[in-house]
Amino acid sequence: MNTTTFDPLSESFARDPYAAYAQLRDLAEPYFYADVDSWMLTKATDVEAVALNKTMFRSLDHLLTEAECKDAQRKMNWHDMPYHERFVQTNLLESEGETHDRLRKLVFREFTAAMVARQRPTIQAFVDQLLDGLNDRDEFDFVEDFAAHVPGHIIGRVIGVPDADCPQLRVWSEQVVRFFNIGRDDNDKRIAEQATKEFYEYLLTLVAERRKTPQADLMSRMVEHQDAGRMTEDELVATTMLILMAGHGSTIDVLGSGMHALLRFPDQHQKLRDDPALINLAVQEMFRFESPLPYFHRFATEDTEVGGRMFKAGTRFGLLYGAANRDPSRFENADQFDVTRSPNRHIAFGGGTHFCLGNHLARLDMDVIFTTLNERFASFDLVKEPAYKPGLSVRGPFSLDIAVRRR
Amino acid sequence: MTKIIFIEADGTTIEATAKPGMSVMQVAVNAGIAAIAAECGGACACGTCHCYIAEDWFDRLAPAKSDEADMIEFVVDPIPTSRLSCQIEVTPELDGLVIHLPSSQT
Repeated sequence: MNTTTFDPLSESFARDPYAAYAQLRDLAEPYFYADVDSWMLTKATDVEAVALNKTMFRSLDHLLTEAECKDAQRKMNWHDMPYHERFVQTNLLESEGETHDRLRKLVFREFTAAMVARQRPTIQAFVDQLLDGLNDRDEFDFVEDFAAHVPGHIIGRVIGVPDADCPQLRVWSEQVVRFFNIGRDDNDKRIAEQATKEFYEYLLTLVAERRKTPQADLMSRMVEHQDAGRMTEDELVATTMLILMAGHGSTIDVLGSGMHALLRFPDQHQKLRDDPALINLAVQEMFRFESPLPYFHRFATEDTEVGGRMFKAGTRFGLLYGAANRDPSRFENADQFDVTRSPNRHIAFGGGTHFCLGNHLARLDMDVIFTTLNERFASFDLVKEPAYKPGLSVRGPFSLDIAVRRR
Repeated sequence: MTKIIFIEADGTTIEATAKPGMSVMQVAVNAGIAAIAAECGGACACGTCHCYIAEDWFDRLAPAKSDEADMIEFVVDPIPTSRLSCQIEVTPELDGLVIHLPSSQT
């Protein structure tokens, strides 16, 4: 295979990335994709091995001199975005070792299964309210009219953002990540930088409020950590932004692709309708079948063997979770959507020390949403075949027009 | 070969063979035991390979390090013999180790 046949920006890739992934997976060795200077890993064992390897880092900054770091920033084009640099490019996800472990531990408690389960009534009430608002519609865009409202609101609640400000969280979140847009231009950069600054200033106000009157929320807990010297103010702000950004768009995407999967495979949807207790397995299968964040990267910090060959320190690897989750050597009938699949050892949430912090929250959102939809509606139909977002980094439909019949 | 005995929450017993150096989590995963979710793959980062060590075995294991002890605080339904199976290395001395499995990791 040459670079012209692996084209993640093509329409055919957006339509069916899994055909391209299967071709890469069939190669004897990892495939070098020059556009992102990375060796692409598509087999479940290779992806998992690199995610778990503690010598594989998210960045090589610690090996670089200050001048080299500045050069790297210029190359990545955020050298002139001071807020973005402080709060988006520097965070828990981009750190390793002591800093990473310390920050993760400080917020982990809020994202455990038990803590997240406390959000169920909040999620249920919000989902009911959204669906009540759609009562006069027999057709709607499942993504824009429904799914897109949920994660920002719920993450906002976990953080401690007042409900009235949650819609603004969504706006900032979507603006901040415009930096990562394919074909990003100066306007995207300007908007991303301005949103980061506004979000930062907003969070400082919230920090001051929580310092004065602590509540039972993540922000109050982080303020306590900051006051005790366990995290800096910049770390508090960057961690908050990361929690919002990592969980917002990806949850919307998997809600859309999950709904689409139920519509594409009505026999599987019927199984879930017949036995609502299958919801946990069904949600897991939605993550496996259409992993919403299908691509992450790691750098080797020492010479390492991956997928049967040696690579030098400094090599960049692409971890194609979306491909690994369709690896037939890991999953029987890997291209079949099966709501009864168990065990379902997918790696849509990554692996190793960077394993997705918000996994329980995302799954609870989906549990409540699909259970409620099946209770409320007698049937769903696809109105129009959806188009999926292009590129390697995200996977989800732009929109999903559905027709519903109420009970 | 070392034998590890897993007892599911419903009483089902599964005997698995293990090679020294593997983690108990890997043994369970290889044996297809769904009750050990082990979602992070063994990095002590998720708490979903939680298990209960049979009482007469608990003190024979190397004690949990601080990372594991911290994580056990966050698992579902911990008890005094709770451990994370990804942090227990199989050694020949563990032949016959009995592990009880929780009904759910989430």
